[in-house]
Amino acid sequence: MSDQILMKGNEAVGEAAIIAGCRHYFAYPITPQNEIPAYMAKRLPEVGGTFLQAESELAAINMVFGASAAGARAMTSSSSPGISLKQEGISYIAGAELPCVIVDMMRGGPGLGNIAGSQSDYFQATRGGGNGDYRVLVIAPASVQELADMTVKAFDLADHYSIPVMILGDGFLGQMSEPFTLPEPSGKTFDKPWALTGAKGRKPNIIASMRLTPEDLLEKHNLELQKTYQEIEANEVMYESYLLDDAEYVIVAYGTSARISRSAIGELRKEGIKVGLFRPLTLWPYPYKELKAVSDRAKKVLTVEMSLGQMVEDVRLAVQNDSKVDFYGRTGGMLPVSEEIIRKVRSYGG
Amino acid sequence: MKTQLQDYKHPEIKPVWCPGCGDYAVLNAVQKALASLEVKPHELGVVSGIGCSGRFSHYFNSYSLHGTHGRALPIATGLKTAREDLTVLVAGGDGDGLAIGGGHIAHAARKNIDLTYIIMDNTIYALTKGQSSPTSHPGAHTKTAPYGVYEDPLNPIAMFLSYDVSFIARTTSLKIKEMEKLLTDAIRHRGFSIVYVMSPCVTHKSLTYDDIKSHVPSLPEGYDPTDKFEAFKYAYKEEMYMGLFYKQEKPTLNERLESIRKEVTGSSYNKGHTMTTSQIMEEYL
Ligand SMILES: Cc1ncc(C[n+]2csc(CCOP(=O)(O)OP(=O)(O)O)c2C)c(N)n1
Ligand code: SF4
Ligand SMILES: [Mg+2]
Repeated sequence: MSDQILMKGNEAVGEAAIIAGCRHYFAYPITPQNEIPAYMAKRLPEVGGTFLQAESELAAINMVFGASAAGARAMTSSSSPGISLKQEGISYIAGAELPCVIVDMMRGGPGLGNIAGSQSDYFQATRGGGNGDYRVLVIAPASVQELADMTVKAFDLADHYSIPVMILGDGFLGQMSEPFTLPEPSGKTFDKPWALTGAKGRKPNIIASMRLTPEDLLEKHNLELQKTYQEIEANEVMYESYLLDDAEYVIVAYGTSARISRSAIGELRKEGIKVGLFRPLTLWPYPYKELKAVSDRAKKVLTVEMSLGQMVEDVRLAVQNDSKVDFYGRTGGMLPVSEEIIRKVRSYGG
Repeated sequence: MKTQLQDYKHPEIKPVWCPGCGDYAVLNAVQKALASLEVKPHELGVVSGIGCSGRFSHYFNSYSLHGTHGRALPIATGLKTAREDLTVLVAGGDGDGLAIGGGHIAHAARKNIDLTYIIMDNTIYALTKGQSSPTSHPGAHTKTAPYGVYEDPLNPIAMFLSYDVSFIARTTSLKIKEMEKLLTDAIRHRGFSIVYVMSPCVTHKSLTYDDIKSHVPSLPEGYDPTDKFEAFKYAYKEEMYMGLFYKQEKPTLNERLESIRKEVTGSSYNKGHTMTTSQIMEEYL
């Protein structure tokens, strides 16, 4: 059971989804996540599931909408430009209070950009490109193991709160092969009395994201959604602390940037510089409180991203002291350089 | 127990279409067709797009999904793959189905997914109060064509034929008996069926009852709906012919998926829990 196996991040997501009981997956090809549809195309029929290559990302997310409405565990995956196209569907799914899992292996933008990994869609993921007061629970793994584990968890969170959950990775993470242990199914089951299952002898279910009458119905619906979001903020924040107990300097980074930061921290610690890593694992809900506590004890907080400054806005909100917050980022498919992180942190001391 | 027309009507939600709207007749004909086929209301799913016609799904005493503008077909595809046992109907307008969502019809046809798609064409965007649609008549004055529509209208039947949709019929809200018969055959058809209904909008008057009364001949006696070239010929005629244009038997999406599943179940390219590093190396190196 605990055999280590070797897979690309993208494939690990696919197998983990199957372990989680996902039998309906719809996607449109885009690099750097093409291994997910390829894996699912091969694997899903073996377990009696359905893979459809959709005619567009719009079609794929709406197929997820339909399958989820039927009570199925459904997933789609894409990369940045494709996620842009899915935004409308994500807003409708959120409005209809349906669960689903969306995987985004980010690549460089704006526009077609390039196919190398990037983190420049933090805003898109956490602020949503779709319309309305809705939220998507966003999880940002940093290893193949975590991609797999979090994919299983994502399905449970989606079902528990009846909301879309996004796994936010990047091209490097998706393409990288690492040994990992296949996750176990959680064993949790969820009642879905709202589903379009055709069950006899109960009131028919209508699923709609439209609420026209009476006048205050839409506001009431939104207030209900907000209650769910508050519950998620209270219960589902995930983050990792690394060498923070005595840290004078805190690096905040997620996903691939966090891995690079970690190796920089190793070097800096050898020099006796007290630096640690705060790694948010959920980007929404963001660990504001936890980061605030850590940053109160620190002299400087450096945010490292593969973007020109997106998550750093949440870091500022958390730290509440702009003079403490510094930023280093590379974008367009370029990786932050460990030496540059080291140079920056060294400079804080003198 | 036999199902009655009443069994399909939503107990509380009543249609809010304008009095005289062509869509009432379509709703009625669909529900009659369902009753004649004895489709159980709890085994029925209705998915609709956005528009006046898109309100369709709310009026059923069944499982309903009112989705995204133009995306009723992909939503229904997801629903049908997850619940193969449900009879799934899709409904929407000419704008929903042929403009914003036009790209999906070809792909539902390629899969031959077992859905019945009812398009209510009033040659206008009615819900948004009268803009041009892909089937608006050239020269017609609309909110977005104050000097007259200068684009050519689509020929939906010819489009569906070239997509190889496996059941294609056209009718009107005036021909209630014919509509009911075509809908019954379409729902019974195994595969992707389209019933294209010319359905007047009395408010925007883009398509009136007089318009369709004057030139809607039926396909001639002896017309062979398995002859695709004949179908194309009639699709391109000046007059708007009504009836079953084309019908073809081919495997449905589910049959196609099932045959793949049968072939590979157990053969296992990759058996999750028991897979080891060396097996993976073998697979990938
Ligand atoms: C993404 C999006 N764009 C635009 C609209 C506004 N809208 C609603 S219905 C519609 C057109 C409806 O026309 P049709 O499909 O012909 O339906 P009808 O009302 O004529 O029955 C439009 C443009 C929308 N709801 N969503
Ligand atoms: S505006 Fe036209 S299409 Fe809409 S309900 Fe009224 S008559 Fe029917
Ligand atoms: Mg219309």
